[in-house]
Amino acid sequence: MTRWLLRGVAACCLGAALAPPPARAGDVAAGTDVFKAECAECHSVRAGRNKKGPSLFAVTNRAAGTLPGYNYSDALRAARWTWTPEKLRDYLSRPAAQANPGTRMKYDGLADPTELDDLVAYLGTLHP
Amino acid sequence: MLSFLNRRTGRRPGNAYLWCGLAALLLFASTAAQAVPSYARQTGAACADCHAGAYGPALTPYGMRFKLNGYTDTDGNGGKIPLAAQLIATRSVPARGESTTRLTEADLYLAGRLTDQIGGYVKVENSNTGNNTFRTRLNNIDLRFVARDLKLGDREATLGVSVNNNPGFQDPIGALPGAAGIGPPSVSGTLLNLSALAHRVIGASIYGLYDSAWYGEVGSYTSLPTSQQDHLGYAVSGDPGKLSDTGYVRFAYMKDLKRQFFSAGVVALSTRRQLPRSGPRDDLTDLGYDLSYQFLGNREHIVQLSYTNILEKRRYGSTPAAARARGIVRDQTTSLTYTFRQSWGITLAHLVNSGSRDAVRYTPYGVPDTTSNLIGVSWAPFGKDDSYTSLANLKIAATWFRFARFNGSRTNVFGTAPGSAAPVTDARDLDAFSLSLSAAF
Repeated sequence: MTRWLLRGVAACCLGAALAPPPARAGDVAAGTDVFKAECAECHSVRAGRNKKGPSLFAVTNRAAGTLPGYNYSDALRAARWTWTPEKLRDYLSRPAAQANPGTRMKYDGLADPTELDDLVAYLGTLHP
Repeated sequence: MLSFLNRRTGRRPGNAYLWCGLAALLLFASTAAQAVPSYARQTGAACADCHAGAYGPALTPYGMRFKLNGYTDTDGNGGKIPLAAQLIATRSVPARGESTTRLTEADLYLAGRLTDQIGGYVKVENSNTGNNTFRTRLNNIDLRFVARDLKLGDREATLGVSVNNNPGFQDPIGALPGAAGIGPPSVSGTLLNLSALAHRVIGASIYGLYDSAWYGEVGSYTSLPTSQQDHLGYAVSGDPGKLSDTGYVRFAYMKDLKRQFFSAGVVALSTRRQLPRSGPRDDLTDLGYDLSYQFLGNREHIVQLSYTNILEKRRYGSTPAAARARGIVRDQTTSLTYTFRQSWGITLAHLVNSGSRDAVRYTPYGVPDTTSNLIGVSWAPFGKDDSYTSLANLKIAATWFRFARFNGSRTNVFGTAPGSAAPVTDARDLDAFSLSLSAAF
């Protein structure tokens, strides 16, 4: 019994060590700067204003590939996810071609977890 | 306009009045806009995404990628008309000579994408030659075919072809004179300086970008027949001569770190030139290098720094008595631009042209050395994501062009003989100030 208990505790510890770090509450002001440096050339935050990429106004909790008026790639149109903060964090942490094979988006990914949290926090403020 | 001075001065230095009149035209170099609203309409991007000061010509890394991609990027919606226009009014105040205020340019741009792989830039310039007489000329052209999203090994690559009429204009980094729109005024500049060859040649090059960092380009040019130069609006007297065996090679490394950018590159242009066209051949070889750095941050404060050094080796086909059979000239440009909130800009440039001694070719002082400085301030209120319009823009600019040395001397630069009726011209007499208002839509 004790052995099973120890094994369970060890497994939990190992799992916690390998899991991605939990998202911290991001700094919105810092996230604005991250957006301007990393995203603003291809994405607007104005409602209805699309650039090479779709407007990111109200992107949080929007179903992927559904913004009216933007011509999505087949890959993103076929995606079946919603842009939750967790999904945004996961997507933006990797090269876009890896996160959504076939996408037109060119992005190498944001490696810094703090900047990632800040950016996702900022995107969360973009709503009506 | 700066190119006109360069070209003329390289051949027939002498007439002081001509020089004074032309000096004021130098100022137009600083207003050479390349922020083309039809590109903004095509991509949905703001002018400031591609140009740090929202009006140009200095490119951001994003603007460089747009150029490398053959001007074909889009917001995904077709039906955009690839036409734009620009008007420039200028108040010119030369240190010596008459001040003028006039509509100096009315330009038409045919600029945009035709297909996913074909795009281009064509500028038709209407410039005021005085007395409200406008001259229509074909300015820069850059037509491109591009193949993107290629794979070389596990790395991304882009391959393209550019057909253009100005060696260096097609360069993505924007440090070379043809692309930067600025180069040292001189009595004898390099081929790659503003515009010994510009708009009077036609050429094609193949270029490639590997792993978003390594850029290479190989091409060739030939000069247009004088009759075609005339048809395109250029006086036959400025013919660059007959060119043969002309090769252009460019290699550069660039790194976009989002908040910073840097590049280092080399360039070469070699040709055999007959000027006049029935005359002996001169062998000319330009070898240059350039370094650039940009601090972009969150785009609130942008700093762009670049240095270009081009050496031209010359082996003359004919050598008058007492002249040298070989010679060199060198053009160096150092420029620093600070831009606040993508709207307010200040540019400082130090421009140096120098050459080897030749008492016959460079009269009266035996060296062509010219040193000048440009100081410019500008304001472009629109063209940002959050401005009234991001798809059109205005620019108000004030520019000072100052000469420390011209034609090898600080004083009496044309060697006016004592007692002559002609006035003595010092280098500072070529200084000029201009105030310009540009509108692009």
